[in-house]
Amino acid sequence: MNSIRKILILGTALVLTAQERPTFRVKVDMVVLSFTVTDSKNHYINGLKPSDFRIAEDGIAQKINTFGEGNKPPVQVLENGTTRPLLAGTPVPTEPGKDEAEIRSDAFVGTNVFVLFDTSNYMYRGFVYASDAIADFVRGLDRADSVAVYTFSRNLSRPAPLTHDRSEAIFGLRKAVAGDDAALYNGLLLTLRDASKIPGRKVIIVFSNGPDNSSMVAPDDVRAVAEDEGIPIYVISTSEVSKDPVSSNIFRRIATRTGGKAYFAKTWQKQVEAFESIREDLGNSYTITYYPQPNPNEGFRKVSVEIASDAGKKMRVRARPGYRPRSGF
Amino acid sequence: MKSLAFVLITLGIIAGSPASCLRADDIGLRAWELEAKGDAAGARNLLHREAQSSSATPDSLKAYAEFLDRHHDPATRDAYEKVLAASSGPDKLAAARRLLLLDIFAEDRASAAKHFAQFRDAGGADFTLPTKQIAPPEKKQIVLIPGPMRSFSRMAALSPDMNPDDLVAALARNIVTNGYQATSSNEALEQTEYLKLVVRYLTQARELDKLAGADKIIKIESCDSAQTNDLLRVLGYRMRGGCGSDVVLETLNATRAFLTIDSGFPLAQLEQALRTNRPFTYDYKPTEVPVLYGPEYWLSAKEKQNGEFIDAFIGDPSICRLYLGLSKLDPQTAEDLRKTVTIQKIRAFAHVLDFYGGMFDIRNGKAVVPGGARSEKAWADMVGVSPDKGAAFFERLVAREDGWMASYFDALGRITYSPSNGPVQQYLTEPERMKRFYAAIRGKVTSPGPARPVFRSNTDMMLLTTRLRLDPDGHPHIPGGVDVWRKLFTNHPQHSKYDAKLTKAAGNWKDGDDVLEALFALTRKSVENEPLKIFLSLSDVDRHRLKPLDAETADRMAREFAQYGAQYSLFAEATDLGNGAINQFLDAAEEVNQIRDLGLRANAAGTYQSLVAIWQILYRQGTIPTAEADASLTKIAALFGKAKNEREVFEAGRTGVKALLAATHSPADASPQDRFIDLLAGAAAPSDADSHLQMVEEMIRIFESQRLISLKTIFDLVDNLESLSRGEKVNQQLITKAAARIAEIQLPRASMSSAEKNSMAFGYWPEKHIEQQRKLNLRALIDRSATDPKKLDDIRGLLAPFLRDTLVGLTYMHYAPPGAQILHTNPLFVRSHDFIGLQGSNQTWKNTEVLGGGWPTSAGGKLVGSLSGLPYALAEAEQNFLIPSREQALIWGDLVPQMLVSATVPRWWNVSPSQLHWVALHMNYAEVRMAEGVVSAPQRQAFLDALDRHAPPARVRKIGNLLEMGEMRSAVENVMPSEMFAVSMDLLAANKNDDGPIAKEIRRESAEAPKDLSYDAVSRAFGTPKPTLANSYSPQLLNLRTFPTLMGYSSRILAESWESNLLYYAALADELQIPPSQLNVLVPQWTQQTVEKIFATHLEDWPALLRSLRSVGDDLRQKSRKQTSAAGGE
Repeated sequence: MNSIRKILILGTALVLTAQERPTFRVKVDMVVLSFTVTDSKNHYINGLKPSDFRIAEDGIAQKINTFGEGNKPPVQVLENGTTRPLLAGTPVPTEPGKDEAEIRSDAFVGTNVFVLFDTSNYMYRGFVYASDAIADFVRGLDRADSVAVYTFSRNLSRPAPLTHDRSEAIFGLRKAVAGDDAALYNGLLLTLRDASKIPGRKVIIVFSNGPDNSSMVAPDDVRAVAEDEGIPIYVISTSEVSKDPVSSNIFRRIATRTGGKAYFAKTWQKQVEAFESIREDLGNSYTITYYPQPNPNEGFRKVSVEIASDAGKKMRVRARPGYRPRSGF
Repeated sequence: MKSLAFVLITLGIIAGSPASCLRADDIGLRAWELEAKGDAAGARNLLHREAQSSSATPDSLKAYAEFLDRHHDPATRDAYEKVLAASSGPDKLAAARRLLLLDIFAEDRASAAKHFAQFRDAGGADFTLPTKQIAPPEKKQIVLIPGPMRSFSRMAALSPDMNPDDLVAALARNIVTNGYQATSSNEALEQTEYLKLVVRYLTQARELDKLAGADKIIKIESCDSAQTNDLLRVLGYRMRGGCGSDVVLETLNATRAFLTIDSGFPLAQLEQALRTNRPFTYDYKPTEVPVLYGPEYWLSAKEKQNGEFIDAFIGDPSICRLYLGLSKLDPQTAEDLRKTVTIQKIRAFAHVLDFYGGMFDIRNGKAVVPGGARSEKAWADMVGVSPDKGAAFFERLVAREDGWMASYFDALGRITYSPSNGPVQQYLTEPERMKRFYAAIRGKVTSPGPARPVFRSNTDMMLLTTRLRLDPDGHPHIPGGVDVWRKLFTNHPQHSKYDAKLTKAAGNWKDGDDVLEALFALTRKSVENEPLKIFLSLSDVDRHRLKPLDAETADRMAREFAQYGAQYSLFAEATDLGNGAINQFLDAAEEVNQIRDLGLRANAAGTYQSLVAIWQILYRQGTIPTAEADASLTKIAALFGKAKNEREVFEAGRTGVKALLAATHSPADASPQDRFIDLLAGAAAPSDADSHLQMVEEMIRIFESQRLISLKTIFDLVDNLESLSRGEKVNQQLITKAAARIAEIQLPRASMSSAEKNSMAFGYWPEKHIEQQRKLNLRALIDRSATDPKKLDDIRGLLAPFLRDTLVGLTYMHYAPPGAQILHTNPLFVRSHDFIGLQGSNQTWKNTEVLGGGWPTSAGGKLVGSLSGLPYALAEAEQNFLIPSREQALIWGDLVPQMLVSATVPRWWNVSPSQLHWVALHMNYAEVRMAEGVVSAPQRQAFLDALDRHAPPARVRKIGNLLEMGEMRSAVENVMPSEMFAVSMDLLAANKNDDGPIAKEIRRESAEAPKDLSYDAVSRAFGTPKPTLANSYSPQLLNLRTFPTLMGYSSRILAESWESNLLYYAALADELQIPPSQLNVLVPQWTQQTVEKIFATHLEDWPALLRSLRSVGDDLRQKSRKQTSAAGGE
């Protein structure tokens, strides 16, 4: 693209001809995959190593580039399967020939947590309790994590951009103003767009009563963006499942397909428990990165994560089912 | 381009003697060359070095000062000081004068006094320094509202940026419009949730006020101090965990806690103080709010007993409405009225004052009336009191016919002169005519009055008066002639009647006034006023046409308005279309409408409308030569008059594409896809290639997001099919390419259940359309067809839906709003365009609408109807993706889409730098005239007289007072950029001998490029599209007074009357040396930033919009200065 620009700046072309037209192609970016492993009783399995996992895309085996567990610093996985620590502040290794923007290893320490708080009229009654529960959650996050607090009603608002400073996040949270229509999926889309610009591991936690009366995008279109970006979405709904079956089903589908979870927590206590569960999930998840092997499929690529050992057959891996490669110039 | 002569003069080079300024000339020329190349930093550096050198001459100092002045650089005054010190004679006088005016801009009174003395010493004689002082604060009558302004503003939904003087009026407006609702059981009003929260907040604020004690500071010494629990109780919180780092505040009382958070109490800071066991202090001084005429005036004796002013005020919507009405009046007029009429009497007509008082003006004791002296007698006759009696005249006016006469007064008073309309106010205020039309409006039954609702529901009268056009012979323009209108009224198109009395009278109509009388009479009706809509629409079609519509065409258009009226904006914009082309377009539309198979009809309509929409864009951009406009559209329309099956629709689409390529003189071998994208991105000059490429890239991104099939692939495929029947081979690569794209078409995600579809009949046709495409197995079909020409021909028909979507997609791409989140996220958005609409409604030719938003079970929002209103519908769908930069979003529904449309429809490829400069010069000229108004009473009056033609009397008076007091910045903040521009035009027209430097430059520039710098050209370049107000997307300036809040179909007019953004950006681009072509990329970004910074209290809070606009400008200036400094500038 740069070369095309240069030619045009020189003023040799009146309009772009077909030959000069920028080429739009599928780009192969580093894939970040976060997942949890649990046993049959839903207990987290920790301590697994890179060699314990088999990653495949459309059945094509993938080579793990980096590996991390919970909030421990990530390690680089070498050709021979051994690992070596990534030095803090150094770039994440790339494959030869890959034109990847430099991502520093620090980006994979901790999780970038985006809390999306529903401040629409639907949350009027539970607004202050929700605010308390979110404040507790923010306080309890691992030190390595960063957190942003966004709110939405008809529009999105960013009262606390991504920060390591918990007080800053809570200050932002407590500035939230209640009222107006609810455009949950618009807000979620914009939050995903922000999160996708941040390197490293990230999750979005939606705290909402459920109904949406203003969004212009469909929930599943937003879910597709989350899948492609590899951003798990956790949803805490303050409504009972039976009260709003449409929203409940959508929440479940979005959470499952992106590798997150949906909670239905009407009471403050349940909400605190939901947050606790999310925190546990974050602390017990694995994050790997890899550069996809050549794959002609430019559409949805199915990703599978398997445990190599026999014991692994009884284990359950919760990860996003796949993604579509990005396209651009 | 700016002429060299102009730049050299501006740089002060030509002014000096040849010998003395040789060096400055050289430097100036080099600086100009650098600036012209876009290297402002280099130019600044060069001039700065020269000005700093020991050999600096007065001319080189002046060149540097003027360079800084043009760029609004903070160092300007210092630079002029050096010019002043080094110059003599006229140059010294000019420098002192400029410094004095710069001091006035900066409101630096001490410096102004110094430079005024130097100005006098240098021979200046025409100025005097202002002596009037701002009214001291203690003179204002204030009330106290407990707690900080910020908290009250949040709770009452007021902008905290608001001037405290305006707070009570803004509060009154919110109470009137949002504070009360009718109860279902009776006519009594009850408080809304909004007002209940304000009342609860005041109660909590008073409790906090008590805790704050005499010094009004809430203090907590430490976590365990006695006050802590008291404070937490009032706030509705309690501590969890013991004092120290474990302490957490949690909700105890949800109602109180809600108020605490919603009012912005610094709870997090309090919690932090408790956790760290540090003192917490919070300034809780009450907010002092000035009250018009003092609180006593508003409250009855009984109300005074019921607590504080603020409680009584918000408790009575009628007081609020009166306050609102009086606050809109020019202060002197209000004062005269208040002295003459008791509050009880005025209160009965508060609603009339609220809507129409803004145009009341008493000068020297006399009421100023529309039509001036000539019409005074007629007004006296109609009102029953002479305008000479000032307040008594208005007292009677508001009482007449429950506000109908006041609404007539307002509608006539708002008319501004426009060259394309002619002297309409003069015409309508001709005494006998004015009385006649009022008699028609008044009728026999005058209740309910037009001011009874909280928003104006009847805008028709105002639209009629502001948009009426006079023909050169001085008579009103009646599209098609009186006969057309007589027949329309007597022989109604839907076999009913508009009005029985008018139908009867129509048989005797003889001239235009008869038609106007009927139209005025219909403005009284609260039901849809179709004749007025037809009249305005056809008037707009004729407005810029050299030859007006013939009677037959006008008659047809009037009769078919209900069906095709939304399409007439095309004819209003494309003034080169003759009657034949218009009729051909309508014939084809009629033919498409006759297609019974709805799927086929949707494909035919979509293909036809998208080709016409692309034609319209290319016509607007000047890519289709005007001489070929008529023929090319006629050709496209003719194709669709015959298409009766999918194959023919496809063929019509393909031939239509060829017709467009031919009309744009495209190379024969050009790829239609690439060529269309290039053309739609805009006709760029080689030097604009970078901006053009950015536009192209964004369009391709959208095209790819929508998974559309390129025109080239479709046409190559069809060519290949045709060649198969001649025995040639299948192009497998092509089929694979097309099939791969078809395979990417997904099912609409989470579409509705059958029951939902059946119940709403919404989304059925788009889904069927998408399903049909998904099912297409191209390879199998071709295999089965072998070389059978008939079967191969049928495949062509199956490609018709794909061709439709691609063409529709191209129009969507062109009008994509900034960010285009929907287009990038919903891959079926284009394919989902519903050309059929809800069952039984036939929306194929209706205006574009947004449907399906806020309905998670649908596959996202989609657009329904024709493509005629596509730019606005896309902007409307996208508006809520903008992210307000403040904690509270007060973005409103009609303004934001219109602002986005103003950024996506106009393009600036053909705009010259001299046009940018011309706008900037006009802005500067008006500002200089304002500054001169600070030091010269005659200049001030001249400026105010010009402003009076564009701004309401209250604001004109306010600006006059501010100028008199030397409050230049505040004065400028009260004038909109569009008013600055219009006033400047008026002042220049009235002062053709003005020999000031800017006036001379403007005249010189105009003389050099009269075509580019005509009002019409600048209006096209920096005007805004006005699909409702002018029935056209063609950008134009109308210079109307800003409209009030309206209801119904005309609610968008308020936003369309705002014309300041593009004029402001044009002047900004000139100042920052940004080439016009970059505006194509930058204006959408700037507009987005402007919208995101708006923090307004209500719909008519234009100052808030202006603040946001200026804030974006200031940010860009700052960024530019930083870049200049980083590039080596000083």
